[in-house]
Amino acid sequence: MTDAEIPLEVHDLSVAYHKKPVLYGIDVAVPAGKLVGIIGPNGAGKSTFIKAVMGLLPLAGGWVKIFGKPYRENCRRVGYVPQRESVDWDFPVNVMDVVLMGRYGRLRLGQRPGAKDREIARECLEKVHMLPYAKRQIGNLSGGQQQRVFLARALAQESDLYLMDEPFAGVDAATEAAIIALLQDLKNRGKTVLVVHHDLSSARDYFDMLMLLNMRLVKFGPTAEVFTPENLQTTYGGRLTILSEVVQSLGSQEK
Amino acid sequence: MTARRCRGSCPVRAARAASRSRIAGVLLVLGLFFLLPDGAWAARISELTETTFTGRAVRFFTLQDPSLRFALTGSVLLGICCGLMGSFLVVRKLALMSDALSHAVLPGVALGFLWTMKKDPLAIFLGATIAGLLGAGLVQALRHTTKHKEDAALGFVLASFFAVGACLVTMIQNLPEGNKSGLDKFMFGQAAALGPGDVQLLAVVTGLTLLVLGLFYKELLVTSFDAGFARSAGIPTQVFHYLLMLLLAFAIVSSLQAVGVVLVAAMLVIPAAAAYLLTDRFGWMLILSAVFGVTTGVVGSFLSFVGRNLPTGPLMVLSATAVFLGALFFGPRHGVLAKWWRRRSRSARIGRENLLKAMYHVLEQEGFRGETIPIRHLAEVRRESIEDVTRDLGRMQTHGLVSFTGDRRAVVFTPDGWKRACEIVRNHRLWELYLTHAANFAVDHVHEDAEKIEHILGEDTVRQLEKRLDYAHRDPHGRLIPGRADDYGKGPNVPKP
Amino acid sequence: MNGLVPPFDFHRVVIEPWTTGFPLTIWIVLMGSLVGIACGLVGNYLLLRRMALVGDAISHSILPGLVVAFLIFRTVNTPVMFAGALLAGLLTVAIIEFIQRQTRVKVDAAICIAFTSLFALGVTLVSAAEAAGPVHIDAECVLFGEIALIPFDPPVVLGGLELGPPPVLRMAAVTLVLVLGILLFYKELLLTSFDPGLARAMGMKTTVWHYGLMTALSLVVVSAFESVGAILAVAMLIVPAMFAAQLSTHLPTRMVLTALHAVASAATGYHLSVWLECSAAAAMVVCGSVLFALAWGITALTRKTGWIDAPTPENSVRQSVAAPPGSGADQ
Repeated sequence: MTDAEIPLEVHDLSVAYHKKPVLYGIDVAVPAGKLVGIIGPNGAGKSTFIKAVMGLLPLAGGWVKIFGKPYRENCRRVGYVPQRESVDWDFPVNVMDVVLMGRYGRLRLGQRPGAKDREIARECLEKVHMLPYAKRQIGNLSGGQQQRVFLARALAQESDLYLMDEPFAGVDAATEAAIIALLQDLKNRGKTVLVVHHDLSSARDYFDMLMLLNMRLVKFGPTAEVFTPENLQTTYGGRLTILSEVVQSLGSQEK
Repeated sequence: MTARRCRGSCPVRAARAASRSRIAGVLLVLGLFFLLPDGAWAARISELTETTFTGRAVRFFTLQDPSLRFALTGSVLLGICCGLMGSFLVVRKLALMSDALSHAVLPGVALGFLWTMKKDPLAIFLGATIAGLLGAGLVQALRHTTKHKEDAALGFVLASFFAVGACLVTMIQNLPEGNKSGLDKFMFGQAAALGPGDVQLLAVVTGLTLLVLGLFYKELLVTSFDAGFARSAGIPTQVFHYLLMLLLAFAIVSSLQAVGVVLVAAMLVIPAAAAYLLTDRFGWMLILSAVFGVTTGVVGSFLSFVGRNLPTGPLMVLSATAVFLGALFFGPRHGVLAKWWRRRSRSARIGRENLLKAMYHVLEQEGFRGETIPIRHLAEVRRESIEDVTRDLGRMQTHGLVSFTGDRRAVVFTPDGWKRACEIVRNHRLWELYLTHAANFAVDHVHEDAEKIEHILGEDTVRQLEKRLDYAHRDPHGRLIPGRADDYGKGPNVPKP
Repeated sequence: MNGLVPPFDFHRVVIEPWTTGFPLTIWIVLMGSLVGIACGLVGNYLLLRRMALVGDAISHSILPGLVVAFLIFRTVNTPVMFAGALLAGLLTVAIIEFIQRQTRVKVDAAICIAFTSLFALGVTLVSAAEAAGPVHIDAECVLFGEIALIPFDPPVVLGGLELGPPPVLRMAAVTLVLVLGILLFYKELLLTSFDPGLARAMGMKTTVWHYGLMTALSLVVVSAFESVGAILAVAMLIVPAMFAAQLSTHLPTRMVLTALHAVASAATGYHLSVWLECSAAAAMVVCGSVLFALAWGITALTRKTGWIDAPTPENSVRQSVAAPPGSGADQ
């Protein structure tokens, strides 16, 4: 497998941020066409990892490659689903507007979304069964519906690698089933999906590969190999206090 | 992060032109169009006969003029009162509330004036306080009944109340009595115009503020720090919020005369923000803030008194800004310069430690047979020129870490230098070992991680590491980890495993 | 209190401005409307980004910009003053960000410190300059503006055609630039306001857009400053946008509502000022605030939450359409 075929390669990624979850020395190469769950306790740096991959946080060390190139050069091949709480749901836009935002990365400066973009956005909405709500203001949606709108927006990005931050948080059972079906569909089309997930019980069924994270990479590999009591114990059995102290002081040094 | 620092800072941390064209008179003119009667919009304390600086300074300090005495007393009281209230605003993130309320009192000032048709301090005080409380209430109403965010609610109250006030003031100026109303003085303030009534009012308000703070200090502190906890502990946080707003309205209204609508927010926020930069304890912050308030009040009055044509209110604000800038740049812990200096000395230390480590490696390669380290050899290891290495070594000599041999072609460790070198190599190797053994990192890339970590490992962490690693003697590459006992050797004796 | 409120004379207040007083009225109302539209358009974005009070800060700190520009170049040349004010506006934003980033002082206090200090500096500079020579900034003007004097500005004449007073033309140009800018960069402004994280992940430079918006804000406030004054410019930034936000949840609709509100409050405000003989700009803001209060009252009565969901075909359809498959539990 050449570099350009590896959707995400991370080497010695360290993120040190004052008083925030931090990461230390993460080494990972995610193969294509896999559904990868990022698992770890609260404050383990799961969201930090995704954000650092996209260059939204400054790195204290290491590098990230997307299909063999730095993130900036390949950002179009990455789709992103942020946490639902990260935006203001009173914002005056409707469902269709939000999904169209997924097309913005492919438009030039000042270019407006055209008929083709709208058609794609409609298809993506249909896939998450939200087309009847296209004109609804986003604040008037249930939590599950909001999550599906975000998912439709990521689909509209037509990327090859998807990074999703807790898409299952606070959604109803029907939405959860719909999302997982969608993720399977993405995988079958050869896309790679990384999902930050907090529910250990469903993790084994949902994902092909797991990335156990707690400040450092505890284990990365096929679910069957990684999902062992020992590994989970290492991941959830509390922080390595020395590591967390040291990385925290690294964070205050960098400031 | 020591316990002391956390205990101290937690309560505070969390609680924490266009042209004016020739005819139309728009903005800026050459010439004296549209001169106000007094010829100035922010007047100075007094017209002086003394022409020399010292003459005026002497007059200031001997307090000869009655108007100066009033102005100075007013400034001192204002400084205390605003400094105390401002601390609460800064830690509760309500700084802009002061801006909104100071503008919102304008209609109250105008109505208070209309009530008696003269500048009766008490009527104006009452009118303005009512307007201020209405404004605070409207902000809460907007926040709770609409989806508008706080900034919009504050902005709306500021703008709409001020507009009503502006209408009223311009209407009053059409009245025959209106021209001498002096209402325009409320816009920019005029410390010189402070009369006995105004000073008494300020004294009462300051006294009241001190009283309330004395009685309810702990309730106000806990409400500001963690409103949710305070509510669960049975403290009526709403009552305390409005009590604070009432005191804020009092402070604003009584200070308006001196500094004016626009700048009263500055007297509330700037001294408190400066204090916030200098201390981690809320009690000290209150005291410092009041002290800064008084200082800036006095300095502002002094500058305005000795200056030729300088307004008092803006000078007070500029003095406060100077204090803030001082705290911002020269603050001992949070100051910009202190941070810069810490960063600089840290990188210098890391540079020295890296060189010590390189020297250790040179000796280690030789199997610790000799004690002298040839500079040429060192330069090869560091991939630097001999001149650069010699220069760096010269700096290390002044720190007493190395000493040159007679021909200056080689160096030896001093006992201190040897101790530091052992420490740094030990830190490095312990950390490598920790990463591979405890944190499951692959052996092939831990080395480069360890490079920067060894410099920030504290004594405590190193001891924890040693314990966690069962006092291991060999690093992942099989090299010796210099033991603690070796620090006290005179020279580089072979560390015995 | 006698004589404070002049008797309401229907002919004088309502008819006369549009008959004999027309040449005056049209320019004042036009200027008021343009200021309201331009400020309101920027204000919409400020509200969305929770930066309403940065507008307050910039409108105040423009004063030292004007004074310094004047003291350096000794001219009241419009472009020079414009540049000075624009720089002062951007400097304010930079100071706020510096304080916020370098210290633990929070953004609200940083805003307050930045603009009051700059404003105090401006006032002091004016006074100090007065001592050296006749320089004067009119206090009333800084606070309330001089909108009523605008029709007396000698009009710009182009090819024998009287176009109108320069401030009105300037404001019209600024409004036009703003409308074009929003049309052209609608999607960038929308995404950086709604979801800055995604915007950056897509490679948009959020900082550039932030400062672009701040430049637009400074430009609008500088042009509005001479006619409505510092504090009322803040009102023009916030009130029309809040009115629109109260009535619609659709951004383009909000923009249109903002413009309507601006025109309505300018017209009614002018009549109010004729009646009460008070500052026209202040009266316009009072009328604008009353319009907001009406919108607030109506929304509170019609729906408890207060926001009217703009009626759309889909909204009426959704009652009849059964919930789509796989979404049974989400309502």
